[in-house]
Amino acid sequence: MSEQSTHDAYAEKAKSTFSAERKEDYFVLAVAAVTVVLVLTGVIGPTFVKSLFF
Amino acid sequence: MGSAGGGGIGVEFSLANLPKMLPGLILCAIFGWMALQWDATMGKWNTHFKEAEKVLKAANEGKAPANYAEYKQKHADSFAKKTEEFKAAQETYKAAKAAGDKSVKEPKKPSKPTTLAESEFNSVAQAKAIPGNLSFGNLMISFQLTYVAMLLLVGMLIRNTVGIPEIFKAGTVAARPLIKPGIIILGAYYMWSDVLKVGVFGLALVVAFVMGTQILISFWARRSKVDSGLACVMGAGVGVCGVSAAVAVAPVVNAKPRDFFYAIGTILLFGTLGLFTFPYIGKALGMSDPVFGAWVGTAILNTAQLVAAASWYSHESLLTANVINIVRVGFIPLIVLWAIYFYVVKPAVDAGHEGQKINVMEVVTSKFPIFVFGFFIMVTMNEFGFFTPEHRSILAHELLKLFFAIGFAGVGLNIAFDDLKKAGGTAFFIGVVSGTLKAVLAAIAVMAIGGDAFRVKG
Repeated sequence: MSEQSTHDAYAEKAKSTFSAERKEDYFVLAVAAVTVVLVLTGVIGPTFVKSLFF
Repeated sequence: MGSAGGGGIGVEFSLANLPKMLPGLILCAIFGWMALQWDATMGKWNTHFKEAEKVLKAANEGKAPANYAEYKQKHADSFAKKTEEFKAAQETYKAAKAAGDKSVKEPKKPSKPTTLAESEFNSVAQAKAIPGNLSFGNLMISFQLTYVAMLLLVGMLIRNTVGIPEIFKAGTVAARPLIKPGIIILGAYYMWSDVLKVGVFGLALVVAFVMGTQILISFWARRSKVDSGLACVMGAGVGVCGVSAAVAVAPVVNAKPRDFFYAIGTILLFGTLGLFTFPYIGKALGMSDPVFGAWVGTAILNTAQLVAAASWYSHESLLTANVINIVRVGFIPLIVLWAIYFYVVKPAVDAGHEGQKINVMEVVTSKFPIFVFGFFIMVTMNEFGFFTPEHRSILAHELLKLFFAIGFAGVGLNIAFDDLKKAGGTAFFIGVVSGTLKAVLAAIAVMAIGGDAFRVKG
């Protein structure tokens, strides 16, 4: 593999990795926001998690 | 974050990919639920074991209650007395607060006393033997075999024996980032004073050890004539954030594919070893919870692994490790900038050529992990009183565990020995020496600084 094609392959890999991580960050921010809203509005209350287990 | 950790390498989050991810996500949710159920059961058996020991001691001294009804009544009376005392202390606190007196501390609500079940009580008081299940629970807790350990160990065992069917693979990879919403909502527990206090010490640790590792490896490699590409990838990987940092700097320095994969293998191997050994080393060295949190936040290579190790140790360790980690991941853009300067700009300038111009803002905005803003928003909301103690408990204890359990299931199911076997060559030597050195020096530093500096009060 030539130096240029190696560089291009890594550059492409780095770009796609960080693009995926940025999307992932937006996703986790959205999940966290929804969770907080559900807790603040009382939809998820103190018995919610306990009710999931025996 | 690495592929054995919580990074986004492998599966892109999009609606189109959802059907592909769903089976694996469901599998991780089921595993997570089973592990939390295990945790709750072992925790209950462990507390009952301790109560049974008290009853056994009283029985041996002839002071045990005559029967179960008397035993229950004694506990109920004791709890009622504590509740009355709490109410009185609460009134005093309210009055003092209204008068501007800050010397009176807010009283803690008494927790319900642990009461043995009738069969357990009879076994202890009459047969003078602690039931086997309670002893088992105590044994599991003393070996730190909590939900974190179960998910990682059982997940790793499954992955490397029977394997994961193809249909589940994408989802198990996609489950790992679910650790991040947990990190964000944990922000509901902190005040800014905590973040700033621990953050300042964390910053000093990160500068000293994380940046230090990168710089040390750079100069060491130059003196030993190790390929600059390999040195840069290892410095970024071992110093900062595992595979993501290695991927970020590889194109900067034209790392060779073989060296790159050796480096990734070594980073994964070292991180996995740290994850499974550090909690036991911490206990053996007698590290307090905040000290252990500070240590893993500095010495373990990626977010998922250090969150798992800290959660394995205790919730208080997690609180400290989380702040150090937030500081650490903020350093990824700086590491990339360092790599561009040290491996591209400086050699060009030294050789008399014009150095490449660095677009600092472009590097910072493209490489900064934006999920940390969610954490800062949560801390700010807590500071402004958005969360009641009940909200904080639900977010920072209960829901946090749900997210972590699903994420850790994904981490465990993706620890593949085949990936770890890829460690080798010079990368292995550099990684193990620098990673171990960093861990040892960081342990000495955090133990010398002491737990108070790293304690999160909430």
